[in-house]
Amino acid sequence: MLSFLNPILLLGILGASIPIIIHLINKRKAVSHKFAAIDFLLETNKRISIKFKLRHLVLLILRVCLIVFLALSLAKPFIKNSGGGVEEKNIPTSNVIIIDDSFSMQYSDHHGSFFLSAKTAAKQIVDALKKDDKAAVITLSSTAFQVLQELEDDKKHLLNFIDQSQPGFTATHIAPALDAAVEILATAKTSAKRIFLITDMTRNGWDPHWFKSGHEKLRRHVSRIHIIDVSEGKTLKNIAITHVEPHLNLLERNAEGHIKVTISNFSPVRTKDLPASVFLDGKKLTQGFFNIEANASETKEFFVTAEKGKDHLGWVEISEDNLKGDNKRYFTINASHTIDTLLIDGDPRTNIYESETFYLEKALNPGREHVSSIKPSICSIHEINNITFANFNIVFLCNVETLPPEKIQELENFVREGGSVIFTLGNKVEADYYNNAFSALLPHRLHTIRTFSGNSPLSEEQPLHLKVAEPIHPVIRMLSETQIDTLPLVNFYRMFYVDPTPLGSCKTVISFSNDTPALIERQVGRGKSVLFTASIDRDWTDFPVKSFFLPVMQQLCRYMTGGIPEEISQEILVKQSWQYPSSYDVNAIETTNPEGTQAIVQQQLVDNEKYFEYKETNMPGIYAVTVGEKLHPQFPAYFPVNIDAAESNLEKISQNEIEVYMGGTNLSITTSHRGEESDVLFGEAKKTLWGHFLLLTLFILFIESFISRK
Amino acid sequence: MTGNPFDPVTLSKIANMELRARLLVDGVLSGIHKSPYTGSCIEFLEHKEYSPGNEIKHIDWKVLAKTDKYYVKQFEEETNLRCYLFLDTSGSMGYKSTGISKFEYAATLAASLSYLLLKQSDLVGLISFSDRVLHYIPPRSRIAHLHTLLNVLTELKTAGKSNISAVLNDFIEKIGRRSLIIIISDFFDHVKEIIHQLKHFQFKKNEVILFHILDPYELTFPFETVTFFESMEDERHILADPKSMKEQYLSEMNSFLEQFKQSCLENQIDYWLIDSSTPMDQALIKFLARRESSLQSVHKT
Repeated sequence: MLSFLNPILLLGILGASIPIIIHLINKRKAVSHKFAAIDFLLETNKRISIKFKLRHLVLLILRVCLIVFLALSLAKPFIKNSGGGVEEKNIPTSNVIIIDDSFSMQYSDHHGSFFLSAKTAAKQIVDALKKDDKAAVITLSSTAFQVLQELEDDKKHLLNFIDQSQPGFTATHIAPALDAAVEILATAKTSAKRIFLITDMTRNGWDPHWFKSGHEKLRRHVSRIHIIDVSEGKTLKNIAITHVEPHLNLLERNAEGHIKVTISNFSPVRTKDLPASVFLDGKKLTQGFFNIEANASETKEFFVTAEKGKDHLGWVEISEDNLKGDNKRYFTINASHTIDTLLIDGDPRTNIYESETFYLEKALNPGREHVSSIKPSICSIHEINNITFANFNIVFLCNVETLPPEKIQELENFVREGGSVIFTLGNKVEADYYNNAFSALLPHRLHTIRTFSGNSPLSEEQPLHLKVAEPIHPVIRMLSETQIDTLPLVNFYRMFYVDPTPLGSCKTVISFSNDTPALIERQVGRGKSVLFTASIDRDWTDFPVKSFFLPVMQQLCRYMTGGIPEEISQEILVKQSWQYPSSYDVNAIETTNPEGTQAIVQQQLVDNEKYFEYKETNMPGIYAVTVGEKLHPQFPAYFPVNIDAAESNLEKISQNEIEVYMGGTNLSITTSHRGEESDVLFGEAKKTLWGHFLLLTLFILFIESFISRK
Repeated sequence: MTGNPFDPVTLSKIANMELRARLLVDGVLSGIHKSPYTGSCIEFLEHKEYSPGNEIKHIDWKVLAKTDKYYVKQFEEETNLRCYLFLDTSGSMGYKSTGISKFEYAATLAASLSYLLLKQSDLVGLISFSDRVLHYIPPRSRIAHLHTLLNVLTELKTAGKSNISAVLNDFIEKIGRRSLIIIISDFFDHVKEIIHQLKHFQFKKNEVILFHILDPYELTFPFETVTFFESMEDERHILADPKSMKEQYLSEMNSFLEQFKQSCLENQIDYWLIDSSTPMDQALIKFLARRESSLQSVHKT
């Protein structure tokens, strides 16, 4: 149905009579002239009369059309899509207005941000509600403060709520919002139930799996869904820092390393010489330039040096674009955490070089002083009763024959509470004893010792070598390619076979060349247990004298104590909770968000484990952690929170796809609402035509001038 | 016609020129035109051997004395020209865009020619016509005849349709041999029929001169705005956009003029197209000068 936004301007159509009147006046005003050569005129007229009259007629029609179309285009016509909307006009309706407050809604163009447009549209919808209509407003992030889940008819309250809503930094999640909307509408008593989803139509957040079952719910409880696209169907461009990963070597006096920065170009054009700067503790360290193809990413490494002994905070920054929040990504470097390790030497010797723990100690702390963040302490089996495991982060059992039963129990408790134990084997280890005594800790049961002869090259049993297990474990990830390439050069002459069946949740870190595990990790309670199936000294292998022995052992220790993230996805994103194991002597910590708001986090139980859990990660930035207003050695001073990189991808979902997802739900999608009446938001106007009419007017004007000139 | 067609300025400019007919004309009075007849005129032409029947008074006795043979003298007689001026007074001749109408121009031309001819003792007659003869003044050579002609020219008014061929047809019998026939008209008529009638005059050794008088607007059609054109001879009319018609009109007009001129050329009819905006003296001088030169070339050959 054709309607007009400015119907008063249709009066302009009366102007179409102007050419006709001019034509008639011209005809009447024609000068009378007595002419002698009338015969020639009549003869000429005979020849050109039809052409002349036709031309005049065409010109007259064109001029009439010109005025009619001009008046029509100024009246702003549009085609009304009245399907389902007309009957709702006469009955009370229940409405849920969902405002997309995800991070991508902060995209700004010359009209302002999408979120601002969304608020305007929401207020227009509320304004257009009738007396008996009720509405609820929910946002996609749907925190307790950003939801008005009760259907109510107080327009003032609704408008006030919409005014107060703020854009978030979360990723888009359409499904939970629709679930909440359906839940609200299911209890409504009216027959007309509508959902207004005001969004930027970015693909991220439209979970097709939910719609497989969700569309049935929508069809059952919702009579109509209006989707209002505040991006007006435009293709959106964005460049974002999507990943920052610091890798630091803590062996040196100063922590040196590199920061991997990935920048993604979510636009259809190539970006050239994009400057990216790395800041550490507020100072600009370095800068690099990125050339990124359209819809591609580029990763670069920036070398940095940080002072050891303290925690550092930093960020990577690129120039601003339409979506500002993802042009900065935060990171922290924890260079202050000391790892106390206890090396229980099961085979101490007078000659220190022959001791079981000699190479391990040197690997963990290569210098004479404690320049490394790992502090190893060595004890023999006889001294074990005087030592409390809880004072250490990691306990190494190096070729230990036996442990007193109470110490075994203490060790188990130690690991379950978050400590780590690493078993390295040797000639003194008996499989049966270990399998019985450490069954709660060992990743696999020990089987038999296998010896390989390296003396004869003709021997079928050549020494074993190491190889990286797939997927690559975080401990190995930091090794350089050269170091990984030299793994096959390590010789193992003797090793323990283990039972193939794991005793718990296990991961193989490194394998032998015959695919039997060499280094196995097991999660035990909140702690970790690692089994090295060979000796840690040179009795069974030349591993301790290889160049990568040191970094592997260092990384292993850092990994065991949570010093490096296990997976990239463990980076804390906005709205994800930050968890940290609870220290025995600390019951509450304080967290300070980037805006300076402090919150007290109490110790709580998560899966029967004591944790501190902080959920108010509502914005990206650096969050500070203190205990009693001071830094605590057991806790990191800072943790970074970043925006979900998926939200930076502003690829749009098509209307057809949404229609498929909604599967039979009464749906209207409005792509343009700015400057329109609220009818448009109710899906009653689908397509504006004034642009077409204006184009037609210009075309007619061109034809008219062409013919009249001729 | 209200004004005096006898423009003294024009007359003063052409007073010293002589109008000579290309052909020999019959005449009684002596004039500048050679008579085709031998007679007792002043200028001796040739001797001819006497034959019975010749007048004895023409025998050249001196030659008889010298040669003892009878010869009769033959004389070249000079005679005056008999000219008939046909003046079109149909409605279309009344058209004027600027300045004077075609008829006023034509009447002035007729008066000027009359004066010229009478001055050289030729006989001048006047026939005014539209679709029929309106006035007929027989040719006279007396200078007082000029007043008669001028009186008639002054009183003439344009009206009615033109039918030149019918008028000419009436005069085929009336006009004798070797006369000069001058037709002044816009010739918005059937050209073929006119030419056909003129051939009859030519057959009788008459010389025919056509003065085709057209208004500059008829030749250039400079109209711009939509105009309601009305016929000057009947009720025909047309509402036209001159801009769109101009090209085609000019094509038609030029085609007509070209065809007319070609027909005249083929039939040895002297054709003069005159734009009524051309000053009369220029037009007459040009006409007379060209005739003079063409006549001299004829005499040489």
